[in-house]
Amino acid sequence: MPKTDELLDVTETVFPAAVRPPERRRRVLRRPPPTTALVIALGLAAAVLALSGTPWLNDPAVAAWRTVCLAITVQALPFLLLGTALSGAINAFVPADLFTKVLPKRPALAVPVAGIAGAVLPGCECASVPVANSLIRRGVTPAAAFAFLLSAPAINPIVLTATAVAFPGSPAMVLARLLASLATAAVMGWLWLWLGREEWLRPVVRHTGHQPGHSRFTEFRLGFQHDFLHAGGFLVLGAMAAATFNVTVPHSVLDTFSGSPWLSVLFLAALAVVLAVCSEADAFVAASLTGFSPTARLAFMVVGPMVDLKLIALQAGTFGRAFAVRFSTATTVVAVAASVLIGGALL
Amino acid sequence: MKRTAQVLLLVLTGLGLLHTALFTDLYLRYVKEGLRPLLIISGVLLLLLGLAHAAFDRGADDAHDDHDHEHDHDHGHSTAPRIAWLLFLPALSLLFYAPPALGAYTASHAGSEAVKQRKGFAALPTTSPLPMTLTDFTTRVQQDKELAIKGRSVEMTGFATPVRGGGWDLTRIIFTCCAADAQTVKVHMYGTPAPPANTWLAVTGTWHTQGALGTGTAAAALDVHATRPIAQPVNAFTDDLPLTPS
Repeated sequence: MPKTDELLDVTETVFPAAVRPPERRRRVLRRPPPTTALVIALGLAAAVLALSGTPWLNDPAVAAWRTVCLAITVQALPFLLLGTALSGAINAFVPADLFTKVLPKRPALAVPVAGIAGAVLPGCECASVPVANSLIRRGVTPAAAFAFLLSAPAINPIVLTATAVAFPGSPAMVLARLLASLATAAVMGWLWLWLGREEWLRPVVRHTGHQPGHSRFTEFRLGFQHDFLHAGGFLVLGAMAAATFNVTVPHSVLDTFSGSPWLSVLFLAALAVVLAVCSEADAFVAASLTGFSPTARLAFMVVGPMVDLKLIALQAGTFGRAFAVRFSTATTVVAVAASVLIGGALL
Repeated sequence: MKRTAQVLLLVLTGLGLLHTALFTDLYLRYVKEGLRPLLIISGVLLLLLGLAHAAFDRGADDAHDDHDHEHDHDHGHSTAPRIAWLLFLPALSLLFYAPPALGAYTASHAGSEAVKQRKGFAALPTTSPLPMTLTDFTTRVQQDKELAIKGRSVEMTGFATPVRGGGWDLTRIIFTCCAADAQTVKVHMYGTPAPPANTWLAVTGTWHTQGALGTGTAAAALDVHATRPIAQPVNAFTDDLPLTPS
């Protein structure tokens, strides 16, 4: 088993000595490396190879788990590639002060602007995490980057069109989704300005933008590759967790909760977190949950693109666990509140 | 993760995607058809990344092996964090051990998808037996006020899902995006013993009288006249009329 870390000297060549101290400090602060994840990964890999064809892997439940897990991964890979390529490009090609020039100077104003800018990133939620990360690295205030992170998967044209198709004849649902998602993204950005602490974020020393004397294209390629491998590993972890719930939660529990208006909102919000349906498809799933109130289905569509198991895994990998836990919890609460308020007014 | 491992991982993942989406139709088990071009592009891109890494970044991680291994990965661009090892699972699985399509296990644990409200119905073609999808049949039975389906012999295709407590359903699993959002359509079958789970069948029969036809109380059920085993259609995960493999 080759060890996975061997590049202090490389770091030295890539980064000037001036940026080294934070890195050293980080090593002290950092928790023990995720050896558990490594052990699990290797164990599973060995199991897959050694036991191919053995009965338990082909048990219907295990087979369904493998199918769903692989499906989530395969479906997300193109979007993750898009996100990490964009992130690499922002790092290597975009001038450092572009974003600070374009966004309003005051962070409180930059938040809603970044939230609305989320509409331009097409595709699923997996793409937005690496992009938001690269925005922070390029000096965008984290609050604005988080507003972008939350709104991008929910309000882009593809997702809104899918919502309109899934709910024919109720344009109010599309409007409610747009407004509730934007409101959640903005509130979370402001909340970060108010309560957020830098130390929850994993310190960023890695991407420092274009270095004179290095080929921009090589910087892009290596940054892209690194981000993809990093995020991809967490994607697989998240897909495993989501597939577990997807296969084990019996759909009959749906009927238990559909009766109560309050519980049903909370239940569908929780379902959105554990099912990890991609944001382009979640409107169709929501449309099929016919026993539930429109507000509960709105909550499903607002929470889903912002918080789900694979996103939590991606965020934990990108920004650190301390951040992911707090941020996801707060986002869920704000998203449910926004859905109830806006759904109550519009639907 | 060393350079060799990264190259291997990128190349294997790329090949896995190409294998599943370009050289075979296996991707249809996992994702919707529309993702095919994106999967192919991603496969090519990953392959190129891996090859470029192998060709241009020689020596990127020589001579660092004797470092203390406690500190973690991502300081520089040329290593990948340990978590990336997990990506070998989908890559190898795609290449060598593709999981089967979702089937009776998933269908029996799912509720039935509610059919959409439809405003009007065109006259039914006069062909007999009339090929129909499970969704069309359910919609006709429960919503068509003209009762055009009454007494008509229809042919539907799907796979068999035994129902706990007896009987069986003809079922289809439909993806909107990928297998994680799979939804199930079911029509209950009367008059024949349950075939083995996951058998693909073409079934002819007439509506099983239960409830009032043309209203929501009508059962999505069929009195089976004949069943015929078929190969699994290429487009197994849409509720369309079957395209059989050529």
